[in-house]
Amino acid sequence: MVIRRDIPSFLLYVFGFLLLWEWLRPVEQLTDTNNIEMFIIFLVISFALSFIQMKWFWQSIIKLIFILYSINHFYYDAGFFQVSWWKAFLGDAADNLGLIVARNWNDFSSEFRTLLFFILLWLMVYLIHYWLLNRKQIFIFFFLTLVYITVLDTFSPYNAKIAIVRTVVVGFAMMGMLTFFRILQMEKVNSEGAFLRKWMVPLAVMIAFSVLVGLAAPKAAPIWPDPVPYLKAAQDKGEKDAAGPHRIGYGEDDTALGGPFIGDANPVFMYDGNEKNYWKMETKDLYTGKGWITSGTAPIPFRQEDLVPVYSFPQNVETIKETVRVNAHVNYKYNYIMYPAGIKKIINILPDDPKGNRFMIDTTNERIGFFKNDNRPQVPQILNLEFDVPKYKAADLRVTTGYNPDEISQEFYQQYTQVPEELPRRVKDLAEKITAGKTNWFDKAKAVESYFGNTEFTYDQKNVAVPGPSDDYVDQFLFDTKRGYCDNFSSSMAIMLRTIGIPTRWIKGFTGGDFIKYSTENSGNQIYEVTNNNAHSWVEVFFPNQGWVAFEPTKGFSNELNIDYGTGQSSSGSQSTTPAPVKKPQQEKIEDNPVKKENSFDFQKAWNQVKLFWKEHWKLLTLGVIILVAAGGILYRIRGKWFPYFVLMRYRFKKKDDHIAEAYLILLSQLDRYGLRRKDNQTLRNYARYVDSFFSTREMTQLTASYEQYLYHQNLPQDSWKESRKLWENLIKKTIA
Amino acid sequence: MAHEQMNPTIEKILLNIEKVMIGKRNVAELSLVALLSGGHVLLEDVPGVGKTMMVRALAKSVNANFRRIQFTPDLLPSDVTGVSIYNPKEMEFQFRPGPLMGNIILADEINRTSPKTQSALLEGMEEASVTIDGVTHKLKKPFFVMATQNPIEYEGTYPLPEAQLDRFLLKMKMGYPDLAEEIEVLNRAQKVPPIEDLEPVIDLEGLLNLQKEIKDVFVDDTIKRYIVDIVNRTRGHGSVYLGASPRGSIALMKAAQAYAYMFGRDYVLPDDIQYLAPFILSHRIILKSEAKFEGISAEEIVSRVVARVPVPVRRFVK
Repeated sequence: MVIRRDIPSFLLYVFGFLLLWEWLRPVEQLTDTNNIEMFIIFLVISFALSFIQMKWFWQSIIKLIFILYSINHFYYDAGFFQVSWWKAFLGDAADNLGLIVARNWNDFSSEFRTLLFFILLWLMVYLIHYWLLNRKQIFIFFFLTLVYITVLDTFSPYNAKIAIVRTVVVGFAMMGMLTFFRILQMEKVNSEGAFLRKWMVPLAVMIAFSVLVGLAAPKAAPIWPDPVPYLKAAQDKGEKDAAGPHRIGYGEDDTALGGPFIGDANPVFMYDGNEKNYWKMETKDLYTGKGWITSGTAPIPFRQEDLVPVYSFPQNVETIKETVRVNAHVNYKYNYIMYPAGIKKIINILPDDPKGNRFMIDTTNERIGFFKNDNRPQVPQILNLEFDVPKYKAADLRVTTGYNPDEISQEFYQQYTQVPEELPRRVKDLAEKITAGKTNWFDKAKAVESYFGNTEFTYDQKNVAVPGPSDDYVDQFLFDTKRGYCDNFSSSMAIMLRTIGIPTRWIKGFTGGDFIKYSTENSGNQIYEVTNNNAHSWVEVFFPNQGWVAFEPTKGFSNELNIDYGTGQSSSGSQSTTPAPVKKPQQEKIEDNPVKKENSFDFQKAWNQVKLFWKEHWKLLTLGVIILVAAGGILYRIRGKWFPYFVLMRYRFKKKDDHIAEAYLILLSQLDRYGLRRKDNQTLRNYARYVDSFFSTREMTQLTASYEQYLYHQNLPQDSWKESRKLWENLIKKTIA
Repeated sequence: MAHEQMNPTIEKILLNIEKVMIGKRNVAELSLVALLSGGHVLLEDVPGVGKTMMVRALAKSVNANFRRIQFTPDLLPSDVTGVSIYNPKEMEFQFRPGPLMGNIILADEINRTSPKTQSALLEGMEEASVTIDGVTHKLKKPFFVMATQNPIEYEGTYPLPEAQLDRFLLKMKMGYPDLAEEIEVLNRAQKVPPIEDLEPVIDLEGLLNLQKEIKDVFVDDTIKRYIVDIVNRTRGHGSVYLGASPRGSIALMKAAQAYAYMFGRDYVLPDDIQYLAPFILSHRIILKSEAKFEGISAEEIVSRVVARVPVPVRRFVK
C-alpha cells in the first residue's frame, strides 16, 4: 500500500516523536547522560527523513553523519575531518565490540554507549513509523510509555505530573486517528477531507475536554506513601552494609544524615597562619527532617583581589585583619575552596593564571569555586587569603530580643527559620524549656549551645542511628539516641533555635586541624595540618546588628569567639549606624549578574506584564470573551436568517457560469438549515424533486439539471448562469421565509 | 426516470416490445441496456412469464436473427456451437453452424446442462468467437445472449461458477405480472399473437451505430470515483466473502453509459449508477455462509452498500 504523505500522517509523526521524547525526558534527570538535546535533534531528523520518504540509503547516510558528528563533538577535541579522531574512534569501537563478545558490558566506553543509544533511537523511530503507518496500531507503545512514566514517577525522583498529561493527550490523539484510518481501510472507504474533519474535531474536543476534567477533578490521595524516600533510605542502608561506613571525611551530600562516621587520617590541606581557626566550605539552609539541602543557587563571579561578595560582619563589629596561606593537598578533591569565616579577599593563588582568574561564589550556600579559562572548576594549590576576625561585644549581641520586620526582611527570616511541618512538637517544647527565662537571642542561643554539654549526650562516631522513614533526624537524636557526632549536635541546635524563631544556618567545613610546626617563612606563624578527620559542622545564628555569629554545640569541640563580656556597654551608636544589609543579600546580587539578566529579561518582563494585566482585568477580559463567544454563537445559530441575504448580494453581480458551483452548494447547505435535509446517498435529482414537491415548484429541478451539467458533464451552456441565478435567488428567498 | 425524454429510437423499440409484452418495461429497458452496451443478460426466473416473448420482440425490433437453445442435461457443446460434417461429394468436412451463430440468442435454462456445454456458450459470449476442429469462427455482430436459469435450489441443476457468472453484464428477475396486467395478458391470448406483425425499428447496422455512440457518453471522474467507491465497498463488506471485481466496475460504467444514452443524455448521472448497481453487481459477489443463513440476499447487500456511499455533489479534485 502506498502511504500518502498528508497532514494526518504529519500529525501522526509529530505525535510519535512526542511520545518517544517522553522516554528521553527522564533520562537526563535520572542518569548521567548529558546533551540530551542532541538525541532529540536526532529524533527530529529521523522522523523528518522518514516523513519525506527519502531513500533508505540517503537516510542512513545522513543519520550516520549526524551520529558520528555528535560523537566527535562530545568526546573528541580533534575536528570532524581530522584523521586522528577517526582512528581513535574506530579503535575504540573495535575494543568495545570485543567487550560485547566477552560480555563485559559494564566496561563499555562512553563513546560506544552513545553510539549504541543512537542506534536504539534509530530502531525506535523505524518501529514507530511501522506501527503508525503500516500496522496503524500504537496501543502497546502508548501503554508501555505510560507504564514507564508511572513507574519512574513512583520509584524515582522524576516527577511525571505534566508528563502523564502530555502522554495521555498525545496517545489518545494517536489512537483516535489510527482507529479512524483502520476503519477506513477495513471498510474500503476512500477518505476525504471532510470525513477527516468530522472525525478529528470531535476527537480533539473530547480529548481536550477529558484532560481538562481530569486536571480539574479532585484526585484521591495515594493509597500508599511515596516510596522514593524509603527506597533511598533502603539503598543507602544497603550501600552502607555492603561498602562500610556511611560517611568518611567531608561529604557533599547531606540529604540523609546519620550512620557512623569513620575516621580518615589523610591530610586535606595545610595552612600557615597566625592562629588556629575553623574553615568554612559551605552553608545549608533547608532542613528536610532527614538532612540538609540548599534552597537555591545565586552564583556571583568575582576576581582575584576583589572583595569577596559575601556578607560577614556589619561595620559596627570590630575586626582584626589576618592573612593565611593555604596549601591544598592532592587529596583535596572538592571543586570549591575552604576559607575562614570573615573572608575579605583572595590575595593570590598558585599556580597563577596570567589571563586572569575567575572565582564564583554562590551566595545561597557560600561555596567559593575557582574556574580556569576553560570554565573547568579547579582548586588552586596554594591560596593566600585575607580575612577579618571579629571582636564581638556581649552587650551588642544581647540587643536583639525578637523578630523585627524592619531589621530582617520577611523572606530572609522565613528562609532561615524554616522547619519541616512534620517536625515533632516536642522539639519546640524542649527549646522553649531550655531557653525559659532568657530574653534575648544571644542568651537563648548560648543556652541551647550549652545544653549539649549535659552529660546525657555522648559524642560518638560509630554507634550512630540512621532515622527510619518516619523519624526526624533531630528529634531522634534529642530524645531517643542522644548519641552522635557534629552533624547531630549542630543540626539539633540549629533546628531548636529555629523553632523558637531565631534564624540559623548549618555550616560545613573543617576544624582547625593539628599543629605541625612553627613556620619558617613567617615568624610567629604556625603551620597546621587538616585531615579528613577534621571534617566538621556547626551553627551560625543571625543577629540583625552583628551578622552571622558562629556557635559550636558539639561536645568536646570549641571555636573560641572573641567576645567581650566586660564593659557591658554597647559600641557607640551601633543601632543607629547599622545599615545592616539584612535584606536577603543574594537578592540584590542576582540583579548584578549580567548573564542572567540578558537571557530572560525581555520575555520575562513581557510575560510578567501580561500576567499583571490579566490579574487586574481578568473579570472584564473574561466577560468580554464570554460576550464575544456568545455573540458569535448566536450569529452562527441564526445564520439561516441573515446569511442568505449576504449571499444574495454577493452573487447578484457575478456573471461567470462557473458560479453555479459555489452557489448551488450554498443553496444545499441553506436548504439543509431550512430543514430539507439531503441524505448522503440521495442523488441531486432525487433531492431536487423532493424540494420541488415541498415548495410546489419546478425550480430546483431546473437548477439541478444545470448543476448536473456542470458537475457530471463539465460542460455548461453559455450564459446559463443568468437563468440559473433567477432560479437560485428564488430558491434562496424561499428558505428565508 | 419517467420525466426524462427518451431517445426516440429507443422509445420506439420499447413501444414495439410493449405491443407484445404487458408491463415489464424495466425488464425491457435493462435488456436494451445490455444489448446496447454489448453485454449479456442472465434472467433468473420460473418458466412461463414471457421471457421468450420479450427476447423475440427485441430481436424483431432490431431486425436481428433470433435463435433459441433449450439446454438439457444431454446437450453437447457441438449442439450449441455447430459441427463439421463430412461431405462425401466434396470429400471434405463442412461446417454446419449451430444456434450460437445468430445475433440474439435465448439460452433457456442454462443451468440444466453440463458445465462442458455451459462453457461452450460462455466462451462464445466472452470471445465473440468459437473454435471448432481447430478453426476459429467469428460470431455475428451484434451478439447478444439472454440466458435464463432456474432458481438454484431446484433439483437437477448445475450451478454456474462465479467466474462464469461474471460474464453476464446484468442479472435480473422477471417476476409475475400484476393483476391488471395478467388480465390484459389473457385478453391478448384470445387474439392472434401479434409478434409476427412487429415491424423492425432499426436494422443491425443501426444497432451497431448506436453501440458506437454509447461508447462516447461522457463519464466524469466524479462518477468514476463513485463507481469505484461502491465496488470497493462490496469488497470490505462484513457479509461478503468475495467482492465485485474490477470487471464489475467496468460493467457498471458501460451499463450506465447505455442507460444514460437511452434517456437522451450524453453524460452519466449518479442516479444511473444507483439504479443499475444491484443488477450489475449482485451476481458478482459471493456471500459468507453466515449471511446466507440469515437470509440476506446479494441484492440487499448491494443496495445497502449503495445507500452507504455518499453521492458526489462537488467536483472531484485529484
